[in-house]
Formats: sequence, structure tokens, C-alpha cells
Amino acid sequence: MTTGELTYRRVHQASPELLFDVLTQPEHLTHFWGPTGTTTPVANITVDLRPGGAFETVMVNEEDGNEYTMRAVYVEVVRPKRLVWTEADLEGGMTTVITFRDLGDGHTEVVTHQTNVPEAYRSPEAQAGFLTSLDRCDAYVASLAAA
Amino acid sequence: MTAAIDAGRDDDLSATFAALADPTRRAIVARLTAGEATVNELAEPFAMTQQAVSRHVKVLERAGLVSRARAAQSRPCRLEPARLDVAADWIARHRRLWAERYDRMDAHLATLRGGSSRTDLPPAGSAGDRPTDPQEQA
Repeated sequence: MTTGELTYRRVHQASPELLFDVLTQPEHLTHFWGPTGTTTPVANITVDLRPGGAFETVMVNEEDGNEYTMRAVYVEVVRPKRLVWTEADLEGGMTTVITFRDLGDGHTEVVTHQTNVPEAYRSPEAQAGFLTSLDRCDAYVASLAAA
Repeated sequence: MTAAIDAGRDDDLSATFAALADPTRRAIVARLTAGEATVNELAEPFAMTQQAVSRHVKVLERAGLVSRARAAQSRPCRLEPARLDVAADWIARHRRLWAERYDRMDAHLATLRGGSSRTDLPPAGSAGDRPTDPQEQA
């Protein structure tokens, strides 16, 4: 069982509706989903867009043809504000929460929050300590690299 | 390639993140970045007993973040930075995955905006060459 957590913020030039759609429609996902060095053919993407519905992708390594399967289940589907899925198989259970915030000028902030922190560490105090620890950890490792 | 997950390292990570989710233990780790220290020395800045500090050090030891010399009677504590690297690597790995994914999504959105009919474009590969990971820029 892993404990890890990250928050990734980014502003995109698109409406929340369009962003929600490209992240939930196979014909869009096929263009960008797989990690660098892989492709995800549209036929390899299953989207059953409702809470409890499947979100599955089979990514193909461009070099050796190896396949990586992601099996997720949607938890929340609230177009165009919020999308949540869980991956039971990955690192002891991973939850991904994507929120979309309309900035009003044709841009949307997308916040991706990914966590597989076990229940025991989910108190507000533990969360605060945990997030700080990650920041410190980053800073510390950066300082080691600089030394 | 980021898809492969090493289960053994995951178990180690669990202990590492749990150990770091405590302000006293983070302070101890920070102190040890300056060099070795005995439990006595580590206890100095804290309003807590040597025994309490010793318990924190044991948690850090179990997590592989700290080692203690066997020979000297004072058994000075020393930081084991390799484990911190593994923890930072978890964050970097997942962050990079999303950074590159959203790079490619932006490229896809740009083709949509351009009204291009080239919807069969392969995923943009050039985005991955940019240093999108903030930790790499630090």
C-alpha cells in the first residue's frame, strides 16, 4: 500500500464544457491519454459516463507493443464542474479528482488531485502534515541536487 | 515509461510518507540535513523528552529515512537520503504523467480551435521534450 498525493493545477484555453468532453470522450482521449511513448487507440477506450460506470483504457507502448491497462470506475460525473474516478488495482487504490473552474475569459483552470492516501491518514491534521511533508520533501531533494 | 509500478517500492513509500506526516519528524530530518546528530542533540530544540525524540527517531529508522551508528556509544543519527529520493520520485512520476498528458490535450484542443479536419493526428509527441516537471526546473 502506497501513500502518495499530488495536486496539479493548469489553465487551458477552452471552456469547462469542452475540457470535460475531451476528457470523457474516446474520440478525444485517443489523441492525448497515454503516457509519452504510448498510443491509446480509440477502440481501446471504454467510457460509461455515469457514477459506477467503467473508464478503461489499454495503452500500447510504441516501441515494443506492450500493453498497459487502466481500469477505473467513475465515482462522480458532474459536467462541466467535476469528474472523479477510482482505480482499485493501482498502488492500493488510487482516486483521481478533476475539477474545472471557468475563469470567464475563454480559459478554464483544471485542478487534478490524485491520491491513494489510506483512511488512517485522512484527518485534516494528517492531511495538512502530509501535504507539507511532500512540499518539504520536494524542496529537500532539490537542495540535495543543487549541492 | 511511467506505467510500470514497482510493488516493493510502494511498500517502502507508504512508510516514508507516513513517517514524514509529522512536524517533529520533519524537523528532525531537516536538522540531519546539516549532518549527524545524537538523540541528545536532536532533542535540544524541542520541548520534549529525549525519550519522546527517541521514539520519533525509531519511526524514521523503520521508514529507512535515518540510520544510527552501531559502534559509537552515543549512536549518532544520520539521514538516508535515498529513501527521500524514492518519495520525491513518486510525486515527480505522477506529476510528469499529468503534465505531459495535458500538453498533448492542449495540442489537441489547438487543432480543434483551428477548425482543422486533421482529427486523425497522432498524439503530439513534441510536448514531452519540454521540462514540464517543476522539480526538474528547481
